[in-house]
Amino acid sequence: MERSASETAALVERLESFSLLDGGLPYYRGNISAAEPTLLAALALSVSGVQAERAKPFLAWVQKMQNPDGSVGVDPGHRDQGVWLTGLAAIVLHHFGLAENTKRALEFLLSLRSVTGPKDPRLRQDDTLTGWPWVPGTFGWVEPTAWSLIALSLSGLGGHARAEEGARFLLDRQIPSGGWNYGNPALDGKELLPFWDTTGLALVALYGHGDPKRVGASLELMEKNQGKIESLSGLSWAVLCLDSYRRDAGRARVRLLNVMGSLGDEEFHLGNFALGLIALSGQKVFIP
Amino acid sequence: MKRREFLKNTVVLANAAAFGGMASAAQFTPAPCPVTLLPMPDYGRDMEKEIAAIMIDDGLALKGKKVLLKPNFVEAHPERPINTNPSVIAGVAHACLRLGAAQVIVGEASGHRRDPWFSVLNPSLRSILDKKIRCVDLNHGDAVAVPNKGGLTGLPHFYLAKPVAEADVLISLPKMKTHHWVGVTLCLKNLFGVLPGIYYGWPKNLLHYRGIERSILDLARTVKVHYSIIDGVIGMEGDGPIMGKARPVGVLVMSPFPLAADATAARMMGFDPRKILYLAQAGRFLPGLRPQDVVIRGERPARFAAQFDCPEEFKGMRGGPFF
Repeated sequence: MERSASETAALVERLESFSLLDGGLPYYRGNISAAEPTLLAALALSVSGVQAERAKPFLAWVQKMQNPDGSVGVDPGHRDQGVWLTGLAAIVLHHFGLAENTKRALEFLLSLRSVTGPKDPRLRQDDTLTGWPWVPGTFGWVEPTAWSLIALSLSGLGGHARAEEGARFLLDRQIPSGGWNYGNPALDGKELLPFWDTTGLALVALYGHGDPKRVGASLELMEKNQGKIESLSGLSWAVLCLDSYRRDAGRARVRLLNVMGSLGDEEFHLGNFALGLIALSGQKVFIP
Repeated sequence: MKRREFLKNTVVLANAAAFGGMASAAQFTPAPCPVTLLPMPDYGRDMEKEIAAIMIDDGLALKGKKVLLKPNFVEAHPERPINTNPSVIAGVAHACLRLGAAQVIVGEASGHRRDPWFSVLNPSLRSILDKKIRCVDLNHGDAVAVPNKGGLTGLPHFYLAKPVAEADVLISLPKMKTHHWVGVTLCLKNLFGVLPGIYYGWPKNLLHYRGIERSILDLARTVKVHYSIIDGVIGMEGDGPIMGKARPVGVLVMSPFPLAADATAARMMGFDPRKILYLAQAGRFLPGLRPQDVVIRGERPARFAAQFDCPEEFKGMRGGPFF
């Protein structure tokens, strides 16, 4: 289903209506500006065909948020927290050709390592593999590892040892019957249920890394279940991953557009809404 | 960390200087803590009036107050009772309005699901709530750094979701479940969900890394819970809090004292709270651990007494009969 230009314009306008005076965007109405919605909104505007000028306040806000070590944290009051967001920041900074900012973000990402542990034959995962953590000094998980891997791949560092190990980390955390959850394929020997958002994100991150057959079950799962997904985040990632692998995302796309058009303010998560716009654009901004 | 190592560490924790900073005796004036058992055979009943009446009996003053209800949403599974049932949340939320609360917010920072559609923004909850009640995703949004009043984790601050920090009254609404790391998860463990995932991750691995029990105790010292209602209508036994099985108990456990609620619920599940490390340690600074500290109202507890199945490692925490 093709979207009309006016539909896109209305969605973009709604997103921008949340802009705050400092140039950023909040997670929800009433919050202060935060890095994640602002980064995703900058990207969403860029792929939605609006004038480049309109993304500039968001980018300026992000550049001001970047710490001297290259990291990007949650919000201006908590710059040292949530530095897992640096992966997303590096993607957006690279997209807009901000080379110096991108370089610093990537250097930070390469210095950030998850804690590892010895291999335990009782577990269905390999804890010796290094990924990326949510919080420095803790274990690696699917989402921060996926964002960091995408950032490295887009910047031409997909062959870096950290990227290759990150890809192995994600493949290791894949649920045997397909998909990913937050990061444990099984618990106490029992397989866990996949989540649509992390499944889509991990699939996008693994694009171009190794044999596509290794993610076949997850792709099938996503393609088959796209019509059952109901949330904005899940639908966005379904479209983004199926488009990346040139699979049919038609049912998820229709549903996504309906969901985005019917959100009330209370449920209006700006980061997820911006991600939805990126998905609807059909532009493959997360794969090299 | 594997469960066996974790349990070994908790024994060390219990015996060593890790808790040396805590008072050796209770820091409160012992007084009987009321715990009310409200029979609730299923989720189909309108609970609002009964819950409001018990809150009044317990002296909970809500008129003009900002109230935050903190249910437990971890992740969604079609066949497992993982989360606080929406009917219980609605019953409590509507009771708060009935008692004159100026604002009622249902807020949760879900531990596994980043997507708020799977927690408080799910239509199954929002569709049964009065329009005056707001549902707020605590994982994403503003936070406030508050000093950690415990000090066991070594974390100088906790970043509380702003609606939690701004609430006049915090009501904890956990599910009655076993927990594969710490034995049981009830009101005090439910405090993990006041911390935003954008700061702590999904799961909140920083807290796991610093010690789940230490984190619970630090949070229990830092965040005041004004009232607790445990959803024991259908609990979870076995390999909780995610992979266990449904265990119908048919009760809501209500108290102004979170430890009294937790200790009573643990006994109803067949566990001795004094053998559950974090409950036993919380008894040093919160009232309600010992049976003699609690006055049970409402239905007789023996009616609900059960022996929840649990992982082998936790069978040593069992006790009773208590009632």
